[in-house]
Amino acid sequence: MTEPLFELRPNEGRIPFSGASTTLKTTEDVRTAFQQRRGRWIAPDIGDLDLLRAANEPKDTWHRLLVLDRPSRGRMELLHSLFRVVVAPDEGVSLLKGDELRDVLEAEFPEDYFIGGIIDREDERLVLFRGNLEHLLVPLPWLVTNTATSAPDYADFEVTDSGQTLRFGRFEVATDTVLYEFDPHARRRMKERQLEQDDSLGASIRRLRLTKGLSQGDFPGVDPKTISRIERGEIDKPHENTLKALADSLGVAMSDLGTY
Amino acid sequence: MAFNLVLSRLWAAQGWKVKIRDKERTEPPHVSIIRGRSTWRLGLRGGQLLDSTPSPSEVPGSLLEEIRGQFTELRSRWDEMYPHNPVSSDKATHD
Repeated sequence: MTEPLFELRPNEGRIPFSGASTTLKTTEDVRTAFQQRRGRWIAPDIGDLDLLRAANEPKDTWHRLLVLDRPSRGRMELLHSLFRVVVAPDEGVSLLKGDELRDVLEAEFPEDYFIGGIIDREDERLVLFRGNLEHLLVPLPWLVTNTATSAPDYADFEVTDSGQTLRFGRFEVATDTVLYEFDPHARRRMKERQLEQDDSLGASIRRLRLTKGLSQGDFPGVDPKTISRIERGEIDKPHENTLKALADSLGVAMSDLGTY
Repeated sequence: MAFNLVLSRLWAAQGWKVKIRDKERTEPPHVSIIRGRSTWRLGLRGGQLLDSTPSPSEVPGSLLEEIRGQFTELRSRWDEMYPHNPVSSDKATHD
């Protein structure tokens, strides 16, 4: 079930950013909204944050906030005390705008899209903001496989196609391939949607191997012919040592080998 | 570099995009048809839409025919971008 989307809107003259949101006009509305266990909040204008001045710091919050105007440093500290996650414009942050942003926030599964992100070159991480305002961390080396024909330009990063594409210069990454790799829940949803799919262990291993850009000869200690037989279903219960070797080379837990 | 198929003005004006991105879900080989918040994957082996949602019925048949008419180029582009999983391979073949 999609979490509630609250929109801070003390100024009734302003058109709501999202028609699917619950409008919060007063501090009493804010207190009532905080009583819900979790929710996504949006503050389209910087003045909307004035409604939070009287908010008390909750002991345990699962509420997340998206601000479309950049708040001051001091105000960000206040917001971080009230919300588990605060997404706001800043240097290096790419965020969807306008209709694209609205469409993602109102989606049935907003977590299946990205609304923005920022590149952390120091830690070699891509920090992505999902439509449910949660973070997803992606190692930068993951973006490039050894078969890639071009390289990403990290100085030119943008979230595009209504949150379905990550663009790094002329290098583009599909959002669903990021989620398929890093979110088991999203991966399960995608598998359920696929019209014809072989759900065997061998087929899953093959999909995972291809996603990693590996050949059947890239598994130390495992004969490529064995891998080929596993992927074709000729060996439906591989030896545990073989599965461990495969899992180690693929960088996943043994229990996850059949989930791709 | 991502490959963007040039569509006729009719479809481009309606916001349809067809592309092969540098990093896609690798198997099966496909092109991504994008419009707004929706993406449909069209398989390059069989020429069929691969997923039940978004609903395949939302993609106009004539758009699909236009894309399939470019399959020679699209398959060639896929093989260039994903040489470890070319369109011609399947689970019955070795690498």
